Amino acid sequence: MKKKLLSAFLVMAMTVSMLAGCGGSGSDAGTADETETTDDSQAEESTGDKVKVALLITGSFGDKAFNDSAHAGMERLMEEMGDQVEVEMIEMGTDKTKWEGSMLDASESDADIIITGLWDMKEITEQVAQEYPDKHYIIFDTDVDYTLGDLSNVYSMSYKQNECAFLAGVLAASLTSSDAEYANEDAVIGFVGARDTAVVINDSAVGYIQGAQFINPDIKVMVSYVGSYVDSATAKELALTQYSSGADCVFVAAGPASVGVIEAAAESQRYVIGVDSDQALAYEGQDEANYIVSSAIKNVGDSLVDAVKKSIAGELPYGEYEILGLKDGVVGLADNDIYQSIVPEDIQNAVNDARDQIISGEIEVNTAYGMDEATLNEIIDSAQ
Amino acid sequence: MDVLQDILRTLSLPDFYFAMFRSATPVLLTTLGAMVASRSGTNNIALEGTMLISAFVGVAVSAFTQSALIGFLGAVFSGFVVSSILAYFVLKLNSNSVISGIALNTFASGATIFVLYLLTGEKGASTSLPSLTLPSITIPLVKDIPVIGTILSGHHILTYAGLILVVVIWYMFKYTRLGMHIRAVGESPDAAESVGISVKKVKYIALSISGILTGMAGAFLSMGYVSLFSSGMTAGRGYIALATQAIAAGNAVVGMLASLLFGFCQSMANYLQSSSIPLQFIQLMPYLIIVIAYTIYCFAMEQRKKKKQFREADKKK
Repeated sequence: MKKKLLSAFLVMAMTVSMLAGCGGSGSDAGTADETETTDDSQAEESTGDKVKVALLITGSFGDKAFNDSAHAGMERLMEEMGDQVEVEMIEMGTDKTKWEGSMLDASESDADIIITGLWDMKEITEQVAQEYPDKHYIIFDTDVDYTLGDLSNVYSMSYKQNECAFLAGVLAASLTSSDAEYANEDAVIGFVGARDTAVVINDSAVGYIQGAQFINPDIKVMVSYVGSYVDSATAKELALTQYSSGADCVFVAAGPASVGVIEAAAESQRYVIGVDSDQALAYEGQDEANYIVSSAIKNVGDSLVDAVKKSIAGELPYGEYEILGLKDGVVGLADNDIYQSIVPEDIQNAVNDARDQIISGEIEVNTAYGMDEATLNEIIDSAQ
Repeated sequence: MDVLQDILRTLSLPDFYFAMFRSATPVLLTTLGAMVASRSGTNNIALEGTMLISAFVGVAVSAFTQSALIGFLGAVFSGFVVSSILAYFVLKLNSNSVISGIALNTFASGATIFVLYLLTGEKGASTSLPSLTLPSITIPLVKDIPVIGTILSGHHILTYAGLILVVVIWYMFKYTRLGMHIRAVGESPDAAESVGISVKKVKYIALSISGILTGMAGAFLSMGYVSLFSSGMTAGRGYIALATQAIAAGNAVVGMLASLLFGFCQSMANYLQSSSIPLQFIQLMPYLIIVIAYTIYCFAMEQRKKKKQFREADKKK
């Protein structure tokens, strides 16, 4: 029995070392399928001179938010610059342990620009990018720590969700004291976030509260956190609680769990402001859509298209971190039929004014990035 | 003091108690499911995955047949199928029930998203499927009583079903042949076998009942609590049910109280979010209280056991 086990181990060890040998010697072996495809594409590259872009997303497409936006951006990129770029999109799934492996695979491949995103990928990118100095990395929705080493091949960008959240706050605060159909008398609005530990979510909260106070300094903003990105039932429960305690417009920033809040809005016949992408589109033709006044959009796709274009033109500042906001046209409020029909003109003007003032720098929106817990709590408490 | 006021104010709201029943329902149904399995001697860890699959099947079937009832039956049937798969692994192939259960849970979280993608082209939520929901019921007479009417009437049909099933399960264990057999098999399979009870058959039946109950919990999540399926929507409720089941120690009524305790804490946590209590504490409260309750229960059981031993020792003297 022992001998059997030993021999099995030996065989395994040999196979592994053989495979590793193949990987090490590069693409000339061509035993596995994967290496073969690399061969093909490499041959192609030597004939055509296309820039290869690999997009690695955490989770999967179909989230109606970031990933889909990135997907749409890549599609647009292929449409517009199909003769110059080739795009590969990889869904890395939700198993975090596999993400680093996927990053290494992509870096081993012949991709020229590797795009990935979100805070979870920050550390992995910081490590992998140093090992492959001749590859280019674009990471969205987070910064990287450039002091860690030579990261001159990494461009990081994030979005000023606090700016579009500010506009959401302006909209909600104006709507709650207006005579819109589903608004009540109390100057109370709500915010439902995913996790209180996520800076991105708190950044939205901070901007939202500031925007609401900009319109009405005495407004009450109820703040709740689901504690998860997927628990749509708890999200709904929280929103129902807020609506029944007098809130008539709730801004939700809870990723996939947001659908629960939208349902609560339809059930309570109150307003909701969606997040990340225009969430009313997902409910087209359904009753729920009528309650989604607008959405605070982060246009990840457009920012990626811009970044890749700039990179090809040699203008993208690798080695730097940029925060894109209203000024860059990357964030904003969704302007659709529902928005036009529900929101009275004077409120639309107020929202537009606020936007202009943010762009011109007259209003400076607070951000949760680098904010300590005490200040954050103070801001939330100030609206109770 | 503010905190105390917040709590008292929350406790005076009828809406709060209504929400308590709503939050407790999926846990209650799953607790009953876990209880039946556990009394037969098999730990059904696959509850989480079973619930997720049932939630998904309920939405998908009701969307395609445009009948909420068929959707519900589909959800329950899928619960039965998943538990049968578990039963096959555990009873036929003699695999470890915990490992098989974990495998099914992992399978469920992937498979539901995969099929959702095949059906809708989306992986997040089933917003584009025109799925139906099961109705809520207003109880005549009761609904006219102030306060109590608001709390007890107007719940989802499965909330009432869950409460009725508490009595049914309690009765089953206490007075029916099947209930006795399940208990016998769970406590001493050898003894049960020696008097001619087919251990495997009884265990299979128990697991099936467990799957059906959990299937109802899944249907409640996606056809009542919310009216769509979103990936990973069970969010640990199946595991909570394992804890409440452990507290209940096979007593359906205690199981109901434990589930309601969880619902109480959960809905208290929702209401207190805008109070001055630190959020992190509020969010862990439901789980903390379940752990505390379980600790107290274990402690009490241990004491009882010791007393019994002392008594027996005294007798011998």
